[in-house]
Amino acid sequence: MSAEKLTTLPEAASLVRDGDTVAIQNMATQAAPMALVRELIRQGRKELGVVCLVGGIPVDLLAAAGAMNRLIGAAVSMEQFGLCQRYRKAVEAGAIRVEELSETALNARLGAGARNLPFLPTRGLIGTDLIDVNDNLVMLDDPFGGASVVACKALVPDVALVHAHKADQFGNIGYEPTALWPDLGIMPKAATTVIVTAEEIVDSEVLRANPDRTVLPGFMVDAVVEAPFGAHPTSFFPRYGYDTAMHLEWIGATRDDEAVAAFMEKYVTGPADHVEYLETVGGAERQAALEGWEQT
Amino acid sequence: MSDWQNSPPADDWTIDELMIARLAACFADGDQACNGMASFVPVSAFWLARLTHAPDLVWLAGAVGLEPRPDRVPASTLEAPLWRDSIMYVEQYGDFWNFALNGRWLTKFCVGAAQLDRYGNGNNSVIGADYHNPRVRLPGTAGLGDMGSIGKALYYWNPNHSPRSLVESVDFISCAGYLGGGSERAEAGLEGGPELVITNLCVMDFHPETRHMQVASLHPGVTFEQVQEATGFELPAPEGQLPTTAVPTGEQVRLIRDVIDPDNMRRREFGG
Repeated sequence: MSAEKLTTLPEAASLVRDGDTVAIQNMATQAAPMALVRELIRQGRKELGVVCLVGGIPVDLLAAAGAMNRLIGAAVSMEQFGLCQRYRKAVEAGAIRVEELSETALNARLGAGARNLPFLPTRGLIGTDLIDVNDNLVMLDDPFGGASVVACKALVPDVALVHAHKADQFGNIGYEPTALWPDLGIMPKAATTVIVTAEEIVDSEVLRANPDRTVLPGFMVDAVVEAPFGAHPTSFFPRYGYDTAMHLEWIGATRDDEAVAAFMEKYVTGPADHVEYLETVGGAERQAALEGWEQT
Repeated sequence: MSDWQNSPPADDWTIDELMIARLAACFADGDQACNGMASFVPVSAFWLARLTHAPDLVWLAGAVGLEPRPDRVPASTLEAPLWRDSIMYVEQYGDFWNFALNGRWLTKFCVGAAQLDRYGNGNNSVIGADYHNPRVRLPGTAGLGDMGSIGKALYYWNPNHSPRSLVESVDFISCAGYLGGGSERAEAGLEGGPELVITNLCVMDFHPETRHMQVASLHPGVTFEQVQEATGFELPAPEGQLPTTAVPTGEQVRLIRDVIDPDNMRRREFGG
């Protein structure tokens, strides 16, 4: 008998403690576990370390809320919507410390964490200044006599946050046909605790019909929560596109503190839960528009 | 296949189209190309190459979608409208970096950098002397910190040639070029390196020995003095007359405007 993993958003988010290192699935404007990120801010989480490949609006919201004090990642950008301004300001003010890694170095750190190794090497980054400013990267002679490599120290995030299309109550996670988000390949496998929100909770038989689409096994997952449109305002292919209007509203708000506070109150701390959030952003009508992709 | 070979030079080309056509010429059948975020010039160049001289150029859109068939350049070069109609979805952790690191594939890479110095070192990390207390935090190195070090031929594109983007020395190296010039890159054990810098004023390459950036061709109507004025370091004086960059043909311009990018997404990269 498999263990029951289905829970509520507040219960799942409470698995994250102040000070934790939290890996967040995200690729600029794509596929972020936003319902969980908003809930972490609602619960007043502090001093988080955020791990991301290319962080977008979730990083900017966590920075704006004062919920994070460090970032480990390859880039932070909302692509066409520009730099994450609140994150940028916090870094420039010394409130967030950045461990900037190339993509292969981040993959190596997480890969070593997943496989219980002290480090994995990469050939990336050689010649850059990123090695000198980072104690987790060390040049290493090839013991077999070849060219030197960069040893990337194992990284084991306390928690990984993932959004998925489908999950059963036992934490088996199913994906619809899509590019696998870069982080899914390694972040949850390296993390101590894995929390997944899913567009829909389905019967296990639904996953059994397409077992090749099951991307994470239930034994790896600690909590699953149903959160339709849980990646909003980022996109979640093939279900819905990114919300251009909300990204623009956020970019506009980041120019002054009062507008940021108003945005956070309206969209993050104000709504009591994810259902209220979806009503606030336009309900079924808005969701249908985003499902059409052309609105994005 | 369009009749691009017999098409005469366009008489109403714009600078974005010239840069796209020049970059397209760097990619041939047998190459594989991939693009990152906000990469309208490279995406348009790959597509143009595929419609003209390099129909078998392999394109890995957004580094996730193999051989995509978008109906036009969308607002994002990372999002699904670019890659949803692909022949294969490529997984980043397992597959993409295996392809890129192997050495046999994806041997050319297009790079946009906030700062670029005379030896082709790029910076997308921080502005300011202290990495941990930066004056400006830039987006971060993403894949560039890898691509600069793993033997790729690097093609920089810069739609806003200025002393702010072409600098005396970068504040921080987040993409390895020829480091301190001469043989320094080779001595660090690195193969490949910067090949070309295509800007809105000129095309530059790197001296085979000093590895110093130098003007290879001037775009029509641009003088060497104008390029020097817009560059934050001293360029080697040209020996004799510099060639003029070829302008796109009428057919290339038509393909860019009508087929590839009717929404003018490429213009978003210019004038910033």
